[in-house]
Amino acid sequence: MNPLIFTTILMTVLLGTMIVMMSSHWLMIWIGFEMNLLAIIPILMKKYNPRTMEASTKYFLTQATASMLLMMAIIINLMHSGQWTITKIFNPTASIIMTSALAMKLGLTPFHFWVPEVTQGISLTSGLILLTWQKLAPMSILYQISPSINLNILLTMAVLSILVGGWGGLNQTQLRKIMAYSSIAHMGWMTAVLVYNPTLTMLNMLIYIMMTLTMFMLFIHSSSTTTLSLSHTWNKTPLTTTLILITLLSMGGLPPLSGFMPKWMIIQELTKNSSIILPTLMAIMALLNLYFYMRLTYSTSLTMFPSTNNMKMKWQFETKRITLLPPLIVMSSLLLPLTPMLSILD
Amino acid sequence: MMTYIVFILSVIFVVSFVGFSSKPSPIYGGLVLIVSGGVGCGIIMNFGGSFLGLMVFLIYLGGMLVVFGYTTAMATEQYPEVWVSNTTVMGVFLLGLLMEVMLVLYVLKSEEVGVVFEFSGVGDWAIYDTGDSGVFSEEIMGVAALYSYGAWVVIVTGWSLFVGVLVILEVTRGD
Repeated sequence: MNPLIFTTILMTVLLGTMIVMMSSHWLMIWIGFEMNLLAIIPILMKKYNPRTMEASTKYFLTQATASMLLMMAIIINLMHSGQWTITKIFNPTASIIMTSALAMKLGLTPFHFWVPEVTQGISLTSGLILLTWQKLAPMSILYQISPSINLNILLTMAVLSILVGGWGGLNQTQLRKIMAYSSIAHMGWMTAVLVYNPTLTMLNMLIYIMMTLTMFMLFIHSSSTTTLSLSHTWNKTPLTTTLILITLLSMGGLPPLSGFMPKWMIIQELTKNSSIILPTLMAIMALLNLYFYMRLTYSTSLTMFPSTNNMKMKWQFETKRITLLPPLIVMSSLLLPLTPMLSILD
Repeated sequence: MMTYIVFILSVIFVVSFVGFSSKPSPIYGGLVLIVSGGVGCGIIMNFGGSFLGLMVFLIYLGGMLVVFGYTTAMATEQYPEVWVSNTTVMGVFLLGLLMEVMLVLYVLKSEEVGVVFEFSGVGDWAIYDTGDSGVFSEEIMGVAALYSYGAWVVIVTGWSLFVGVLVILEVTRGD
């Protein structure tokens, strides 16, 4: 793509999310979402093959439907409150419709079906933008309307998302689909605590973005999109196998690593609010996630995965330079001792 | 009839939406879109917005729909789908029509309709000419406000339209 046009379109994606996050008028928020959607379509379609076109079409259809539902909720809110400011929603119907619309945009169950298919059909870099940047805008709106969200609906969607994210990822060997199911599960964790303590949602979002960014950078670095090609990294750059191990365990939420911090805080917050079965269930279902991360680490860094003999002596072009990889890796694995700093987020 | 003109126009509006949502070929969809645009213009005019109705005709129908029509004509298929050619299209159209008829009967028969907001019979649809806003008409003031206090909206919308064109060209260009 022409670099000037590509830059313009990328900047428009950023501008769209910025408009969503900083507007105080519901109409501007809707315009921001539409701008974001429109501008990300050519980024998803960077390569012109049928898979990317199908993925972009699916993404466009689901997100456009979600925008329509959002507009309907905005108008019902207008009719019942007479104003366009972003505060809590004044009508339960509008609140439910808006929660569903934002759940569709995030990829929460029961609206999760587009996430694996779209992520699989696009290139690794586009998938990176899709799974990290595109989650910021809907989450910021959920944060702002959190006082009026129907707790039952949101918690149901959250728990089902963690379930689907765990179970759905079990049978996958394609790395992009694994990351998609991981995204669904993490969104579930984030929305589960939204009504109780929205700061923890933002914390989880931050750490999730760092970890996903790291994982995608490592995949791009070794140009691998399947488990099989990832298992050849011991031959290409042995250091990245260790890094993949650490980052994947961090995503699974294991204690000495920073991925444990949001899960710990969320479970603590939920138990403080006298719900015990729910966090137990969520923690148990996070084990499903951990299982397929462990399978990836097993085939990548802990064993020499079976391959043909000519794969064991690979040559490659000059190593790609991935920006910011060392700081990202450090941040996605070593942040746990900084947990007391959470008090500044209030 | 004139008191209920908005109600009648809104029914025609919904029926034309059903007409193109049942997905015949884009040519016939565009035809029904023209009808719905004209009817929408009528609804706006009944609320006193003569300028905005003119905008609908000029920009929406005369600009965007004409471009849509030309591009569809360039990409025509040999046997375009009509509403009666395909059972699915026909079925969806009839279903939408049935839903609209049932809604209209519900509004006409019952005293109060409370779906998400309440109407009390058909009386709510009539526009009475009270509450005259004096010398200035409301919607011209609205347009003026758009260009003064609402400068940011103009910038954002203008940029969105520009990027929309860029995106469409980029997507159609292919390799």
